[in-house]
Amino acid sequence: MSLVSGPGHAGPSSLPDELQLAIEPHVKYIQSLDSRRDELEHWLTEHLRLNGLYWGLTALHLLGRPDALPRNETIDFVLSCQSENGGFGAAPGHDAHLLYTCSAVQILAMVDGFGELESRGKGEGGGKLAVGKYIANLQNRSTGTFAGDEWGEEDTRFLYASLNGLSLLKMLDLVDVNRAVEYIVSCANFDGGYGSTPGAESHSGQIFTCLGALSIAKRIDVVNVDKLGRWLSERQVPAGGLNGRPEKLEDVCYSWWVSSSLAMIGKLHWIDGSKLTEFILKCQVCVEILQLVGSADKKLQDPERGGIADRPGDMVDVFHTVFGIAGLSLLGYPGLEDVDPV
Amino acid sequence: MASHGIARPAASVQRTEEQLQEEHRKIQEYRDLEDLIRTKVAERQYTVEVLNLTSKLLKANPEYYTIWNVRRRLLIYGLFSKSSDSSSPSKVSPSTSRIDTTPVSSTQPSDSVTTSSEASNTALPDPSSQNPGKNGTTLDLIKADLEFLFPIMVGWPKCYWLWNYRLWLLQEANKRLDPITARKLWTQELTLVGKMLVRDSRNFHGWRYRRIVVDELESQHLQGTSMVEVEFEYTTKVIRGQDGLSNFSAWHRRSKLIPKLLNERGTDDAGRRQFLDDEFDTIITAMYTDAFPYAQSVWFYYQFLMTTLTDSVRHATITSNFTQEDRIGYLTRQLSILKEMLEDADDCKWIYDALIEYTMSLSQMEQRQLDKDETEDCKLWLSKLRVLDRLRGGRWDDLDKELSGSRALVQ
Ligand SMILES: [Zn+2]
Repeated sequence: MSLVSGPGHAGPSSLPDELQLAIEPHVKYIQSLDSRRDELEHWLTEHLRLNGLYWGLTALHLLGRPDALPRNETIDFVLSCQSENGGFGAAPGHDAHLLYTCSAVQILAMVDGFGELESRGKGEGGGKLAVGKYIANLQNRSTGTFAGDEWGEEDTRFLYASLNGLSLLKMLDLVDVNRAVEYIVSCANFDGGYGSTPGAESHSGQIFTCLGALSIAKRIDVVNVDKLGRWLSERQVPAGGLNGRPEKLEDVCYSWWVSSSLAMIGKLHWIDGSKLTEFILKCQVCVEILQLVGSADKKLQDPERGGIADRPGDMVDVFHTVFGIAGLSLLGYPGLEDVDPV
Repeated sequence: MASHGIARPAASVQRTEEQLQEEHRKIQEYRDLEDLIRTKVAERQYTVEVLNLTSKLLKANPEYYTIWNVRRRLLIYGLFSKSSDSSSPSKVSPSTSRIDTTPVSSTQPSDSVTTSSEASNTALPDPSSQNPGKNGTTLDLIKADLEFLFPIMVGWPKCYWLWNYRLWLLQEANKRLDPITARKLWTQELTLVGKMLVRDSRNFHGWRYRRIVVDELESQHLQGTSMVEVEFEYTTKVIRGQDGLSNFSAWHRRSKLIPKLLNERGTDDAGRRQFLDDEFDTIITAMYTDAFPYAQSVWFYYQFLMTTLTDSVRHATITSNFTQEDRIGYLTRQLSILKEMLEDADDCKWIYDALIEYTMSLSQMEQRQLDKDETEDCKLWLSKLRVLDRLRGGRWDDLDKELSGSRALVQ
């Protein structure tokens, strides 16, 4: 997921007044995430620090506030997560892994930090090349898929992370893209969807990663778009939200994975966008309060009330916040920057 | 940081001084433990004592993947080797392992965005110092670790790192133990994953793990033979169990096992026909019972069966030697069954959706356009779909265009 250039969507929203995106509380919520060192939870989630930064930063960009986190400190932190092998870990001192390496590259691309990577990056050859080599070395050259790290777990999530990172680095030629595409094709199921490995059940998160990788490789033509579009459109439940697999509960994070997947195959109109928008907006905690006390309530401005949850009334987190906002952007919600589904 | 299904308190709760202190004490304890492990690993203390420290940390935070990696290195570079007097070389050596000794500062709560890494790496452990180990203590270590993992997995059934680490342990068993001993371990995994799937019959980690364990048990190096019959039986059992009909995971697995099952049975054409008939019977009976015509899992499995007839690349799965006439016959029969079904469930959108799809498939198979009656039927069914399923209006619009444009032709 990244930003696309060009003007944001305009036009009036057909939603009721109390269901609007509370932009300022969300910005404050994201800014407050790094100041929670007095909470045990902060330390227990260190393994997500780098993705957390990526999610927060993306959300801020979509909200039109790209400078709400300081650029230099962001770059310093990202570079402090790099290992000697060129890959990145979740936080300083954590082992390198593809998922975090991809997040690091995405952040650096977003804040225009490749220059700093060139001058200060670690690994063989240094700079972008070291990162590209780290990623490329994780490809299984006989099957085309990728391992997450030196310990060998393979999953289509890693394949997407690799191609995404390499395409941002403009180093796709370091890997065998055709083999990777062949591998994805071997993960296709009768319902048009994709799983984590050949034989695995279709799953919206895995479908997103496979379509993302195919988009980067410019090979969406291998997808059975009618079957897959049908399966994906059936993820929308009567409450308006989307689930990840048949007969599971709806969840805001799938609003992103499913709707961006539909967008990548040109079938976003196969779900009800306004019902989905309404569902995502209901997952903002401030909306609950609005419903209780009316739209003029001061609590709306309380920074702790920002953030989006998986479902209405649940705990918010930065993960669901970014996917909720990205989903809204994809659906053309006014005032947000446009998002690239890949 | 990514929470699911946890209710948010109505307003932010102000913590008392006492609570703050308690939280601070917990943070300190956690970070001290983290520091201790990193220090000892930096000193290359690959000992049971350090292993136990990682156990303590991982029980508190099983998502801490770096500590799982530390545990792997403790076993590979220390404990497995010590536990054995064998000297035959290991077949596989981990590629680029490194022990990261970056100290995590615990003295001041500095802003992590400004913390710069002072990662310094110790020299790589010599891979030749690894030792394949012998059945004695290596086996005990692996067994103990598998046991250690189980309660954590029950508590965190969706944690990728746990399943992943478990598989790694078993692969180590393959490398270091004799095949019979390793096979015993893998066999027990089938029971374990069965238990995990009883707790959550849709856990896709569990289903994936099950496939991997079965592949392993079938493999030559563990002197295995095909398990497709018992696995197929397993899906039957799950589907017949509680909420089994809406278990898409089980239906999916079934769809993947069928080609192999029929090939191994050496089923002839008549047998394949019978098999397909039985599957159709099962699924249609399921649709008529327990109000299941509205559950989508069953309909997706129905779609799978139909694709073996309509979809040129799927023919091999069940109906390898079916002629075009055979397939047209089956399709026609299914269309009349679907129409019959409408009599009891005229508010079931899945039936209308299927009727349109397979009416169009039939005309394509017969290389002709939809006739007048078919077109009218499809338009009627489509109008029902628009009323019954408003969420997917965009799809019905596209279908409408397709019908109006008579594009249901062989292209
Ligand atoms: Zn979620």
